[in-house]
Amino acid sequence: MSPAARRRPSPIADDGDELHFCSTCAFSDACLSQGYDKSMLADLHVLVEHVGPFHEGDHIFREGDDFQAIAAVRAGTVKTYVLDRGGHEQVLGFHLPGEIIGLNAIHHARYPCNAIALDTVVLCRFSFPQMALLAARMPGLQQQLFRLLSEDIGKAALLAGDYTADERMAAFLLSLSRRYAQRGFSASRFHLTMTRTDIANYLRLAPETVSRVLRRFQSDGLILIDRREVEITQMSALEQLGRSVLRD
Amino acid sequence: MTAIPPFDADLLRRYDRPGPRYTSYPTAPQFTAAFGDRQFMEVARVSNGDPIPRRLSLYVHVPFCFSPCFYCGCNRVITHDHSRAGTYLDRLVREIAAVAKLFDRDRDVIQLHLGGGTPNFLDAGQLGELVETLSRHFHFSDAEDRDFSIELDPRYVAAGTVEALAKMGFNRASLGVQDFDPAVQAAVNRLQSVAETQAVVDACRRHGFRSVNIDLIYGLPGQNREGFGRTLDTVIATRPDRLAIYSYAHMPQMFRPQRQIDEKLLLSAEDKLGLLKLAIEKLSGTGYRFIGMDHFALPEDELSRAQERGGLHRNFMGYTTHAESDLIGFGVSAISHIGESYSQNPRDLPSWEAAIDSGRLPVWRGMNLNADDTLRADLIQQLMCQNRIDIRLLETRHDIEFLSYFAEDLERLAPLVADGLVEISETFITATEHGRLLLRIIAGCFDHYLHLAQAEPARFSRVI
Repeated sequence: MSPAARRRPSPIADDGDELHFCSTCAFSDACLSQGYDKSMLADLHVLVEHVGPFHEGDHIFREGDDFQAIAAVRAGTVKTYVLDRGGHEQVLGFHLPGEIIGLNAIHHARYPCNAIALDTVVLCRFSFPQMALLAARMPGLQQQLFRLLSEDIGKAALLAGDYTADERMAAFLLSLSRRYAQRGFSASRFHLTMTRTDIANYLRLAPETVSRVLRRFQSDGLILIDRREVEITQMSALEQLGRSVLRD
Repeated sequence: MTAIPPFDADLLRRYDRPGPRYTSYPTAPQFTAAFGDRQFMEVARVSNGDPIPRRLSLYVHVPFCFSPCFYCGCNRVITHDHSRAGTYLDRLVREIAAVAKLFDRDRDVIQLHLGGGTPNFLDAGQLGELVETLSRHFHFSDAEDRDFSIELDPRYVAAGTVEALAKMGFNRASLGVQDFDPAVQAAVNRLQSVAETQAVVDACRRHGFRSVNIDLIYGLPGQNREGFGRTLDTVIATRPDRLAIYSYAHMPQMFRPQRQIDEKLLLSAEDKLGLLKLAIEKLSGTGYRFIGMDHFALPEDELSRAQERGGLHRNFMGYTTHAESDLIGFGVSAISHIGESYSQNPRDLPSWEAAIDSGRLPVWRGMNLNADDTLRADLIQQLMCQNRIDIRLLETRHDIEFLSYFAEDLERLAPLVADGLVEISETFITATEHGRLLLRIIAGCFDHYLHLAQAEPARFSRVI
């Protein structure tokens, strides 16, 4: 195991069982609110299976692979990226526990990007054709799918604007904080599973700039960083900075 | 708050037993060959990935000495053939180039230390080339507080060397003295006059070095109160900013040079303790503070100040004011500490040379620390630097419940508590004034590996 992965285990969802959804499941609320529990989904032939563990550096799918299932991250972090014509990596996003990967493959039935595990990753896979059928019968599930799709599109658009390095960095930390909090993890303390090169690439900044901005945030008392552990010590100040990017 | 600890001969005698010095935890005997060059490259890569990658400390080992000191337990090669310096430097340059590539260029070098052996076995021109090579491959910090230090053998410091070192950026020097008593110097084969030592100290001051450290050793063959007392008086009169007073560990089965020592001249435990007592009395009477683990400093020295504000750290190169950095070691036997890993170059010159000549990174052995190692390393570091363990801090940092996690360790600590070396409250485990001379013993209670390997008694030197 790599030293980075060893330091603090990444948040892992409670295991579900035959009847119960996992605590981080992206669809459980939608299904349960419609009166469907997990066994009923099985009856409807929606295959829900846990796959993994994938280890740091393992590819989950590659650009061009056939798309048959969408997957929710149960544990760990997944990075999605594409390679440009020059072979340079462009990071599209980071997917935390409870988040879906593969939504952008629905249209062409092929994955338009690569997905790689940044630490030990376990996924929950839903066969997509059945899921789509089920969504047609279950308005809540359909709404949830649409919501996830629009979130996915929205996330990518956020960083396209003309923002300063400070604004981008603050928005990035806030986004992680909120997403962890949503799944019941700490909003103020978390482990960065992505490298600074990945962060820099995602935010369209130079790696040295990422460090410089973080060092300044730290000396201004906004955050504390020890290796990959982050603690947000002044949430409101960070929100001030990230507000315009996140369109709060 | 950090005055010199009182001296209790009875306590010290009872706790005078072999124990590691904890320049690292786990200690070097735990390193294995399963950690090699590939693992080294991996930990370097991971360390670059931190959001704020740690700054760098560089250590360069120069193994050569002109003359053998019989007490020496360091890794060194005795030679008068100065051409060996040049061939060694050539390989160092290649090692530096190969290793530097693994680290991102925006990671400032905040600390450089040249140790030995005798770093000034290299002449000023060669030292200049070494520093120039390092500065080409790494980015030297231009911060006010960067520490560039060198160990000097005053007997071989040529005129102009100190000035040249200052121009290269060195601002701290550590001088070996051990003892000025002529009888002791003869017994350990190290003849060194007060005048040549003073000349180097003066040169360092003249050329703006921020601190001068002097090393002394007690327990050497032929030492006595009168002679060592005079040495202490002479040394204190030069007002070194820092002083290290090491205990001589006679382990001839491990350190070959020591076999030349006439064992009839060795001191009884009683007399040896008497010398430590004398040193402590003289230092406390002249305003020095005890930093911990053999080290003393003037109150205005940065080490004393750092300890007062809780900003003291310790690594393979000793106590430092710099927050944690990744340490890269170059040269034969050098140790690196990158991320949560330790690694070491071959201890013998031919193996190190062979690795460089074949284009490999010369990593001989090492280890990745697990979560338990990291926790205990943190605990021991606190003890060595602040004389106490912050229970709550460890609990939050490492996600543990201290009392249950360390139940066995606390049992081992109980006799030390009973003897007044340690005090335990709900929030702190503190070394008392008496315990501060026995930090190694206190730390040993928390050493997981020490208690696995009780079968091998003579691997570590005695504490006092």
